[in-house]
Amino acid sequence: MGATGVTAARPHRLSDAALASLGAGRPGPATLAELRRARLSRHLLLLREIAVLARTEDFAALAAAERAAPDRVRELLARPLFGVWAARCLTALRAGATPDSAGTGHLSELAARARIPRPRREDGRQLTAEHDGLRITVRLEDTDPLRAELGLPPTAALDAAEHQRWQTLFAGAWRLLVDRVRPDAEVLAGLLDCVVPVRTDPAARGISATSADAFGAVAISEPADATALAVGLLHEIQHSILNGVQYLFDLLEEPGELGYSPWRDDPRPASGILHGAYAYLTVTRFWRTRRDPLGQFEFARWRAAVATAAGDLRGLTPAGERFVGALLGEVRPWLDEPVDPRVRRLAEGANRDHRLRWRLRNLHVGPADAAALADAWRRGERPPPVTPVLRPAPRRALEASARLDLTHRLLRGLPLDGAAGDLAYVRGDDGAALSAYRKNPGDRAAWAGMVLAGGLDAAPELAAAAYRALGDQERPDPLAMVKWVS
Amino acid sequence: MDGGTSTTGATPEWRSAMIDVSGLSLTELTADADADGDPADQSPLAYCLRRLAADLAHPGEPIAGFNSAL
Repeated sequence: MGATGVTAARPHRLSDAALASLGAGRPGPATLAELRRARLSRHLLLLREIAVLARTEDFAALAAAERAAPDRVRELLARPLFGVWAARCLTALRAGATPDSAGTGHLSELAARARIPRPRREDGRQLTAEHDGLRITVRLEDTDPLRAELGLPPTAALDAAEHQRWQTLFAGAWRLLVDRVRPDAEVLAGLLDCVVPVRTDPAARGISATSADAFGAVAISEPADATALAVGLLHEIQHSILNGVQYLFDLLEEPGELGYSPWRDDPRPASGILHGAYAYLTVTRFWRTRRDPLGQFEFARWRAAVATAAGDLRGLTPAGERFVGALLGEVRPWLDEPVDPRVRRLAEGANRDHRLRWRLRNLHVGPADAAALADAWRRGERPPPVTPVLRPAPRRALEASARLDLTHRLLRGLPLDGAAGDLAYVRGDDGAALSAYRKNPGDRAAWAGMVLAGGLDAAPELAAAAYRALGDQERPDPLAMVKWVS
Repeated sequence: MDGGTSTTGATPEWRSAMIDVSGLSLTELTADADADGDPADQSPLAYCLRRLAADLAHPGEPIAGFNSAL
């Protein structure tokens, strides 16, 4: 007898054009459908492993429900949060948990739910919008306990006023997306399954997250405005798409290797850097449609960051080469598009500034190297060769910069209030900025500011380490030290 | 490694290590599950399940931290 059922199943496949379209952030409907099928395959394979390990009546109950209501069961199993549950349950079973404590009872709950006639309005809460003939409907998930597994603390169930605010913002975001980046809006309509409101992070203004186990779910705090929601949804659905691609193909040989990411203050694994570049690809495409100073700044900043981060990725698999090559093919032509020189200076400066502050924060100069640098300074010699060590961060660090905040205010035309060096820098007075920064060498941002305003090519962590090693009594000119290491 | 290309056909394609079980019923899905677990098994299903297990054993952190507000 030949192979049947699961043993006869064929691999998921993507045409070369489909994989390239995903890399470029322009997948068509058939490619999105393949990703949705891949999600269902993943959920079913996880479920199969759970059934093998747990051997409870819960799976049998679900299989019986499927015979009675196959489409409904299939729909419930395809939901993003089912992926979260299945991954968690199987991990627990493999760690030795009993079926009960691993939560296999959830399958019986789904079986019971599948047998109930479908409510007219599914689960009560939805966000819907329609604009220019394009419609989107997603579930607003604010009660399922599994929503807490998406990486950020969820809000409590929304009250009517909060729900209405979300709906208003969602409709506004949808208008923006359809008008400005309609193909991206079509992707969202095809993939976004549910939105999970999460608590606002006081350090991050607007924050959002995606779990690799929850393809099609986005966790996001109540946005400041429709633009923030539009950009947040574009960003997060890209993470989901990349997760879906990685269900199918490994893209990196060493996904855990730490390096520089333009979007975070902490070192990130290569997989996170790829995620950042891919998520910002469509964010950049959105800002490309705006001609106001802030929009142009975001466009100029992120086009360069995406191109650099993706271009610097090493250890790509063949599928990764194809995917990232298509990503670069999309973003690189944008680098030549004109941007107001004043805005461009600030955008390029923001990217340099971030990298300099990242170096100061994460590249550690050991005591012996710092002492060697200090000795060379005292003797009037050139700096000795020193290789700082990248230190993993103890926790997630979102980008935080007073200079960047000031830049945003300038571009918005708002009154400026801040440190003298930063005020001078954003206004383009590099001489005044340098004078201010050199007076404050205890501040990491001031070291970065000296390199930035001085137009220098320097490793600021070396200057800062040598300065500290020299001690208070010697008190060298910090600007001279920056020039010394440049 | 997954992601092999076939360039012999008119349309190049990428074959995943993940098998497509999206059209199977739950009963079909588990019909021969007792045969699983042989580490020497080189079938597409066995390879797919090992890859899935490795994925679960090394979960990435949730991708979080986008500042959507300027």
